[in-house]
Amino acid sequence: MKKNKGMIVGFLAPAVIIFLIVFLYPIVRTVIMSFFNIESVTDAFEYWEFVGIDNYTKLFKTQIFVLAMKNILKIWLIGGIIVMALSLLFGVILTSGIRGKKFFRAVIYLPNIVSAVALATMWRQYVFAPDYGLFAKFFQLIGADKLAEMQWLAPENSFKALLIAYCFGMVGYHMLIWMSGIERISPDFYEAATIDGANKLQQFRYMTLPLLKGVFKTNITMWTVTTSAFFVWSQLFSSVTANKATIVPVQYMYLQIFGAGNAVTDRNAGYAAAIGIILCLCVVLVFTICNAFIKDDDLEF
Amino acid sequence: MAKEKEKKVKDKINWKKEARLAPGYIIIIAWVIFTLVLLGWIVAASLSTTKEIFAGEVLKFASGIHFDNYIAAWGSGGVATFFMNSLLYSVISCVALILICAPAAYVLARYTFLGNKLIQTSFVSAMGVPITMIVLPLFCLVANMGILNDLFASKVTLIFLYIGINIPYTTIFLLTFFANLSRTYEEAAAIDGCPPTKTFWKIMFPMAQSGIVTVTIFNFINIWNEYFLSLIFANSDQLRPVAVGLYGMIQSMQYTGNWSGLFAAVVIVFLPTFILYLFLSEKIIGGVTGGIKG
Repeated sequence: MKKNKGMIVGFLAPAVIIFLIVFLYPIVRTVIMSFFNIESVTDAFEYWEFVGIDNYTKLFKTQIFVLAMKNILKIWLIGGIIVMALSLLFGVILTSGIRGKKFFRAVIYLPNIVSAVALATMWRQYVFAPDYGLFAKFFQLIGADKLAEMQWLAPENSFKALLIAYCFGMVGYHMLIWMSGIERISPDFYEAATIDGANKLQQFRYMTLPLLKGVFKTNITMWTVTTSAFFVWSQLFSSVTANKATIVPVQYMYLQIFGAGNAVTDRNAGYAAAIGIILCLCVVLVFTICNAFIKDDDLEF
Repeated sequence: MAKEKEKKVKDKINWKKEARLAPGYIIIIAWVIFTLVLLGWIVAASLSTTKEIFAGEVLKFASGIHFDNYIAAWGSGGVATFFMNSLLYSVISCVALILICAPAAYVLARYTFLGNKLIQTSFVSAMGVPITMIVLPLFCLVANMGILNDLFASKVTLIFLYIGINIPYTTIFLLTFFANLSRTYEEAAAIDGCPPTKTFWKIMFPMAQSGIVTVTIFNFINIWNEYFLSLIFANSDQLRPVAVGLYGMIQSMQYTGNWSGLFAAVVIVFLPTFILYLFLSEKIIGGVTGGIKG
């Protein structure tokens, strides 16, 4: 293989070099930045002031950042439960042998290919609209006046609205992951179980669920990675200056760097870097916990 | 007697199956109808007038179908510029990504050498790195190069970034694909005296076509819908892709109150990926889980 050395280097070089520029160098620099006080993100290294872990401790004393972390945690947890439950339910229904599976699957996944900005706009300007909105009309129709009159986009409800709209968009993706897991389970198992007299519910509880452990881990990991970058939806559901109910860390970070309105008073790129690190650590933490509790290969099938 | 019993059991199972499927149908159909109503109404609203939208009479088309919303959004609304930008960014990035990642993926899949595992692990981990971890130094780098005011240089930078952030995913996706191709083709080519580089471009690359098409669709959709990087690095309307451009339009529409125009813009923005999906949904859906398993 030695004579292929030139080819290996030549084929790998572009990808690896770009990777080093776009990933490795920035990650290392972000880690370093998080320990410094940096007035402007473009400042040269000479102007950085070492502050140790001050950026982190200060962040957790900043009310708005704590609020942002709480919000993202709520989105991760509540949204996660809703999305996982719905996507698993849909996945199970679609693999249970109903007609039109391909069509249903395609429609449910559809929101994932639409730009989040467009999707969020649809929800804001149509579903949640007070007069002609889908929710208003629908709840009027079924006589739920209280829900029909609900001002979804008012500050006190905007977080709920955001969560509903976001979950709607995410279900399809996770459903596909569940489905691929369910379809990998051999039909022989179910046949055997049916012969042994297990009903569908028992089969689901005692066969499908345990066999889906690995898929569950994949789902949680993917959900955590997407949630850690949560930004567009928040920005569309409220500009922070008007409403802090839907602020999330990435948005706070963005404001730290590019400043807007009165939400952020002192600018420090070190804070922004620290936020990036905190989010990354959250992802690593979830990943580690998942790996510790859910072993991939303890069940063979 | 035995036969009868068997029949009975079969019937029982069927009945149970149907009973269990009915709620499933109801749930799925309700969700699907909601999705279709949502999209359908947006399309209808984009063809109607702001007045009709507020009157809740979108589906009546009392004043006819208004294609002029689209003309206005495309022209004076500025969607044309965003659209062309997105098209330019997505197409160039997708082509470049394949040219860069396919050879890398092939080498990683086929040859054992020092650092192979390291590169693979790095790429896989990079897929889980939040973009917030990398955006600050990149911005610093670009800003200090002093090119944020130069239109052409900014476009090149954006394309470079779109390529960069999608390299790990594209490489890993293609890697699993190449790993599954049989080695016999290369062996045959080697016996016939074909150099390995030529073997790759002439034989293996074309054979990976279906994987390349799938990953390109994903890259196209990702780059078309990309928001965060574009928001930071595209600082003028001439540079903005559709996602960020649309956000700006929404902000200004709230003052002009031209809702039908806004919905027309929304439709224009999601139309390209939607059309792609219409024809290639099976391939896309197959690719979603294919990429993860690997």
